[in-house]
Amino acid sequence: MKLLVELSLRDLLRDWVYLLCNVAVLAGVIVPLLVLFGVRNGVYDALLGRLLSDPATLQIDTSGNNAFTEADLVELRGWPEVQFATLKTRSLFDYVNVREVGGRGKQEAIIAPSGTGDPMIAPLPALNAGEVVLSAALAQQLGVAAGAEVQLFTQAPERPRQLMLPARVAAVLPPERITGRVVMGDIAMLDLIEAFYDEYALPDHGITAGKPLASRNATFEGIRAYARDLESLGPLQDRIERRFAIATQADTAEVASVLGLGRNLGLALALTAGVAATGLAAALVFGFWGEVARKRRMIANLGLLGLPPRLISLFPVVQALVTALIGLAVSFGLYHLAAGAAERLFDTGLTDRGGLVTISGTEAMAIALAVLVFVTAAALVAARSAMRTDPATILREQS
Amino acid sequence: MQPVIDIDGLSVTLTSGARGFTLEIPALRVAPGERVAFTGPSGTGKTLLLELLGLLRAPGAGRYLAALRDGAQTDLGALWKTRRGRAQIPPLRGRLFGFVPQTGGLLPFLDVRGNIALSQRISARPDAELIEALIGRLGLGPVARLHPDRLSIGQRQRVSIARALAHRPRFVIADEPTAALDPENAAEAMALLFGAADETGTAVVVSSHDLELLDSFALTRYRLGLIPDTDPDRVTSQLAPLEASASRPAATAGPAP
Repeated sequence: MKLLVELSLRDLLRDWVYLLCNVAVLAGVIVPLLVLFGVRNGVYDALLGRLLSDPATLQIDTSGNNAFTEADLVELRGWPEVQFATLKTRSLFDYVNVREVGGRGKQEAIIAPSGTGDPMIAPLPALNAGEVVLSAALAQQLGVAAGAEVQLFTQAPERPRQLMLPARVAAVLPPERITGRVVMGDIAMLDLIEAFYDEYALPDHGITAGKPLASRNATFEGIRAYARDLESLGPLQDRIERRFAIATQADTAEVASVLGLGRNLGLALALTAGVAATGLAAALVFGFWGEVARKRRMIANLGLLGLPPRLISLFPVVQALVTALIGLAVSFGLYHLAAGAAERLFDTGLTDRGGLVTISGTEAMAIALAVLVFVTAAALVAARSAMRTDPATILREQS
Repeated sequence: MQPVIDIDGLSVTLTSGARGFTLEIPALRVAPGERVAFTGPSGTGKTLLLELLGLLRAPGAGRYLAALRDGAQTDLGALWKTRRGRAQIPPLRGRLFGFVPQTGGLLPFLDVRGNIALSQRISARPDAELIEALIGRLGLGPVARLHPDRLSIGQRQRVSIARALAHRPRFVIADEPTAALDPENAAEAMALLFGAADETGTAVVVSSHDLELLDSFALTRYRLGLIPDTDPDRVTSQLAPLEASASRPAATAGPAP
């Protein structure tokens, strides 16, 4: 085998013009496909990146008054499409006042339910009891940062005392995450506020007048869920609406549009690659086959000297593999140049992966493997021809 | 002495449509180191005979035995009858035979030394000393690092001869080895072939049209000739011993005076 590989390589290098031609044929097909694939990745990643930069893209929110229970939430959280879900209290009681402990100013803010795993508060790993997250605008107006101690207080017309809830600021969200003054806390905190508005006694918070809390039947107006990924958003919205017979709001149409664009771009690329691969296969099959026909006497000579046909069949395969490796190296080199030129031409910085034209290491490995398999397959006809070359040719057909 | 080749009643038939050609070898025994020449008009199957001997074509009927270097005798004809036997043929051919074709038997991407060494590498019989001895014996020293395209036809034939002998085969098959050479070079090449074969103890079978050249060497001669056949659509050629000009191994290596 070692001898056969050595002979194949020596022959390949001696016929370097043919090697150059085959490498040029490979690069001529692979480079445009790589650039197309890279552009498809870059544009798609840019669109997806824009969507995914806003966690609310994955959000499904109920609208109107509904009745959800803790059991509904447990069920919802058990669905594989769900990344995070929380109950919502009545929107009527969404407003609270917030001030820093010891501070003088207060700000009115919307309070929204959150919790551990909520993508809206990422990268905060957990939201514990007594902790809140503030929007950037609210934190700035209060002059507080993460770690500050704040108080949430609210007042109802029929209640002589305010409800005062102490909290620690676990994090301040980046400005682009949520606009306006928003404080996010655990659903238990919001439920407490709702109970306060519903005139229940909250002795733990110094409010003894009111209906006994034990008589309260905790129901929630809505739910807010986050899909695990963009592909899950549409199906999850449908499932929630079917399961609970409600209407919901989500950016499903926009997400579906981008995903559809990605699929269509992928399909267009696959069609282009398919047509190109057919042409390349024809060129390589006949090219390798022609090489074996041209070298028939030399191959017959190897058989005459005692190399078995199975080993001789590897002669064109080894050459094809080396040609493919050189072709891949040249192709990726030219792709790199083309991608750099495209970046400079369009002055992009569109995606996290780098820019307009991107191919990941894994994708590059997969492409290289596919090309090697493809070229090897194209060399099989030549391998069969080499294997069937009659060693007696040397005696029978004197040149 | 046990013959290196022992053939009895071997035949092969080629057909093309209704027409057929049969080659018959009633008997052929080649002793170690013997020189044998096949002659005959065109169309009598000289190349076919060499293909049969060189394990390049399956025989139809008959017995074809060969003695290996360790003294063991193997039935070469039987090898063609089984899949396992056929798989053994290429490496056995490499070890048992050396070939000197008329032209074009060298690999263009190897230099002279590499081409000569190739038969040793394929048959796993490395012997650098023998390569150097053959290069010296055949006058290839000055061109040992050149590739075949830089050699004259005569030099290429000498490289072919060296390669055919380098792995110490039992038997060299030379098919019209001097046909492309001028008479002076032809005689020299033939003398070198026989001389080098003598030194390695290798039997040589040569096919040639050049009766004058063959007459100048001590050889066991056979002639192929057409014989009558009962089937009008079939041509039969038969190998028959010719009155020997001389007999080996007692003869000298060089051209006859």
